[in-house]
Amino acid sequence: MDETVAEYIRRTVLKIPRDEIKTMLQKWGFLSEAQLQTINFHQLKDNISQDVVQLCEENSADIKQAAVLDIIYNYIYPNKRVWSVYQMNKTGEETDFFDLTDFKKKIKRRLRSALKNVTVTFREYEDNAVWIRIAWGTPYTKPNQYKTSYVVYHSQTPYVFISASVLKSNLPLLCQALVVASNYHDIREMELRSHSLNSLKDIVFKRYSQNFQTYYPKPLQERDIAPETDLRIIQENKNEKERIERVNREIFGDGPQPKLEFAQYKLETMFKSDPKMDVLDKKEPFRCLVKFSSPHLLESLKSLAPAGMADAPLSPLLTCIPQKARNYFKIREKKGLFPGSFVSP
Amino acid sequence: RGKMEEGKAYSLNGVFAHLEMLEARAHEAAVKQEETEQQEEKVARLKARVQELRLQRDELRAKVELQEKGQLGKRGVTSDPAQPSAQAVLEWKIKSIKATLQVFYLTGISGKLTKRGVCFCISTAYEGTYLDSYCLDLLIKPEVRIHRHSVPVFIPLEQIAKKYLQTDIRRFLSVLSDHLNAYAGRRYQADQLQEHFSDQIEGTLQRNSLCNLLVFNYNVSSKSKTFPFKVRLLYGDLCCSLPTEVVVSCPPDPPASLAETAAAHSDLFRRTALHKAFRSFSSADES
Repeated sequence: MDETVAEYIRRTVLKIPRDEIKTMLQKWGFLSEAQLQTINFHQLKDNISQDVVQLCEENSADIKQAAVLDIIYNYIYPNKRVWSVYQMNKTGEETDFFDLTDFKKKIKRRLRSALKNVTVTFREYEDNAVWIRIAWGTPYTKPNQYKTSYVVYHSQTPYVFISASVLKSNLPLLCQALVVASNYHDIREMELRSHSLNSLKDIVFKRYSQNFQTYYPKPLQERDIAPETDLRIIQENKNEKERIERVNREIFGDGPQPKLEFAQYKLETMFKSDPKMDVLDKKEPFRCLVKFSSPHLLESLKSLAPAGMADAPLSPLLTCIPQKARNYFKIREKKGLFPGSFVSP
Repeated sequence: RGKMEEGKAYSLNGVFAHLEMLEARAHEAAVKQEETEQQEEKVARLKARVQELRLQRDELRAKVELQEKGQLGKRGVTSDPAQPSAQAVLEWKIKSIKATLQVFYLTGISGKLTKRGVCFCISTAYEGTYLDSYCLDLLIKPEVRIHRHSVPVFIPLEQIAKKYLQTDIRRFLSVLSDHLNAYAGRRYQADQLQEHFSDQIEGTLQRNSLCNLLVFNYNVSSKSKTFPFKVRLLYGDLCCSLPTEVVVSCPPDPPASLAETAAAHSDLFRRTALHKAFRSFSSADES
């Protein structure tokens, strides 16, 4: 077995939390159950990984199998990477019969014809998602297994989730391969990025809770109304509180919000000051960047008004994030009757 | 000795003829059943249409009566508007929309008026099993457009909206409902197959988001030997939950009976739901 492969497997196993190593190796399926029984999973991780490499040596593992283990790790822990969303367009109206075998063949062919040194690995999952792992090389060097790009694609959808490696130069080639293999015409990067792959999927696939008013019977959810503990306490602002709750529910819905870590607003608006003060000689847009960061941005925005820290309803610039499927905005001066700002498409 | 051989050949022909006749009968029976089902569906649709038309007729009658009353009043009273009051028109509009919504509810499409438009909910079902529902929030001013929705992204919603939304809302909803119901039906069949007949399937069932292409291998047992069959089901019509193209291939150099079985299966997949087809295989094996 190649030394580089052995080292790669060893480092991959070291990344896995100790309690999960056995399950992940079982999912991998490269080592037999009998072989797994011989490993002591309670020893130091260093030793566990050495044992695993030893067994892989016995089975003559090559880079292809090692790549599969890496995909499995990234599938279970996708939030360690930053994912961007790309949108594809097509003009034709023909029905697409997505053939997985055909798709894989086309991607491989495209990538390999442009770059001889590239490792491409696929893995399909139950929810019609295809995971693609690509290790890039150059015409003169072997693929660097530690600088990989990941692509997640759900068949017959126009969205691709890409976690590019540091090597951004290979991105155009990857995008082209994806467009051709999935029968689309072009692809562009959306202004939507996050660590949470599932939340990105929730936003573009519209899987997050939207409150629709319909006659369709929904099970009534018992809302926990905190009982009045002390009758001597009178809520003076009860109406306002209820109004805020209602408005919040209308905007954010009842269910959990998709998880985003930040929203960024690039302002190119005019600085409005007292003309007498004359802060700026030239009438130029005052450029500034506003970035909201949070472990869970949308949930924190949802809790702002009930906590009394902001008025309800919140600015639509903040609440439009899931519906517009973007968390990077450019705000320019609105040219017209009303001096205000408008969000660029 | 020659006569004995002749006799054997004659009885073989008789058996084949008998089998042919049974096959033909079975085919006829299946065709008849399909016809009756189609007939029933047609009757149900026509009944809904009759209801719709009756409601329209009642509304028009009411409108005519209102007009007539206005006309009669005119002779006696000096000032009487020839046209019904704005209030009456509004009431009539509300009544008409309510009636339309009632009719749509019967067809699995329900709607509710919202502040800025209408919110429709399309429910899907397949052969008596209720499946998911999908909602659309429509705005009606300045023109009809979709504000937000929960339709899966692989359903060609924009295409359907471009064709029908501005001109014929009913047709838009009907076509969208057909797409969603057919998708739900195809997905249900594939899920049922994986859930209940996984022992007959070799390897993985290759499918896609729309469930309009299924490729898999399954085992067919004949004379206590199992043969791997490969099947490719293509659902060319997105509004249909049965495949338009079926290719069943058996291993090379198959015995004659196996080729016939492949043809029979191909035919069955074209006409029956996937899990029902597999259920009939199991019962055929037992018999």
